[in-house]
Amino acid sequence: MFKFLVNPNKFNKFADITLKPLVIITLLTLIAGLILVYFSPLDYQQGLTVKIMYIHVPSAWLALLTYAIMTIYSIIGLAFKIPFSFIINKAIAPIGAVFTILCLFSGSMWGKPMWGTWWVWDARLTSVAILFILYLLIIFLNHTFENREVREKTIAIFILIGSINLPIIKFSVDWWNTLHQPASISKLSSPSIDISMLQPLLVMTVAFSLVGLIIAILRIKAEILMRKNYL
Amino acid sequence: MGLIKKIFFFFKRELNLFYSNIADLFSNILFFFLSIFIFVFALGADEQFLKNIGVGIIWSLLLLSSTLSLRKFYEDDFNNGVIKIIHMSGISYELIVFLKIMSHFFFVQIPFLISIPIACIFFNLPINEVYNLILTFIIGSLILSCLGSISASMNLLNKTNFSIGSLIVLLFFIPVIIFSIGINNSEASFNSLINLLLGIALIFLGISPWSSASFIKLAIRNK
Repeated sequence: MFKFLVNPNKFNKFADITLKPLVIITLLTLIAGLILVYFSPLDYQQGLTVKIMYIHVPSAWLALLTYAIMTIYSIIGLAFKIPFSFIINKAIAPIGAVFTILCLFSGSMWGKPMWGTWWVWDARLTSVAILFILYLLIIFLNHTFENREVREKTIAIFILIGSINLPIIKFSVDWWNTLHQPASISKLSSPSIDISMLQPLLVMTVAFSLVGLIIAILRIKAEILMRKNYL
Repeated sequence: MGLIKKIFFFFKRELNLFYSNIADLFSNILFFFLSIFIFVFALGADEQFLKNIGVGIIWSLLLLSSTLSLRKFYEDDFNNGVIKIIHMSGISYELIVFLKIMSHFFFVQIPFLISIPIACIFFNLPINEVYNLILTFIIGSLILSCLGSISASMNLLNKTNFSIGSLIVLLFFIPVIIFSIGINNSEASFNSLINLLLGIALIFLGISPWSSASFIKLAIRNK
């Protein structure tokens, strides 16, 4: 059933079937999310700037999720020698980079009126900036080596070593005394965020991940076609 | 020929190479001192100010001047085929990488230690900071050798973009710098930070033979 996750031909078939419905669902979710964000209540301290959260938090989650997916696919690709995972690694690295820069940029826009600075050397902020550098290095490595096998395996091993950064980002707000607030939404306890703000946040998260998924499908399809011409 | 004897000859060869390339090491040390002078000229010669930022400057310049020599880690041995010959004599690539890291640590990083006390004189550092600096540099340079082995083996087939190896070393060295500088700030956290540094060193000693050996195998297969 899940063969399309490791097999390029099955993935192409799956993508052809699902792309059009996915675009419609994404448009509906995105519009619904934006309407919900528009009518969501203002914060009593932060005022209008609280609405930056609806972009900041989903893009931060997706930046982490993209790297986690790349880590899983690197393990699969190195252990079971499945070349499709290297295609995915190459295709979704720029998406993760875009989400990370979106997260950093929106956080900076929020930080100027709230904290008074564009940037502080805080553990969470610094580790996300390092995640952005990791993404950039992965994109550079994609253009570095001539030999394809060397390039793919190098990138996979680099991703594996760089995945040390993921738990650091996740737990940085708990380990160090940071200016960045700790997580408001966790699985084990009830969320410390009000339901009227949680609803638009979750809808926006779904919409953002669907947008990322559509771009990823298109990029993976393009990469498969390119390799079929080359091989 | 027993394994111990082979390892002994390996180190003997590395020692010979070290003596023939000793000018390279001294020019690295000279780079270190020149960049200290440039820092002092750029920041002004205020004694108290230099005392406050001295440890940070020395650590970052040590890192930068060590990365100068990292490119040559495997390149010569790989290009004239010595790695293959050593492998044919019955030593696995992982053990070659480990021996190479050890020889780089002993013959390149440890001689750097003589330059640290002299550099500390320029910044008028207190003596306990000098002790801390030397202790953290001994652990940190081992990590630096491991990272250098990874990045150098990665760059064996890289003909175009050389600086990416140094970028990778600098990126993964950030936590080591944080913990090494943090030792000076509080007496209480000394033991825990030293333990953290040793832990990072052990992690990299475990990772780097595996990953460097896989890179070298790839490079030899695709040469």
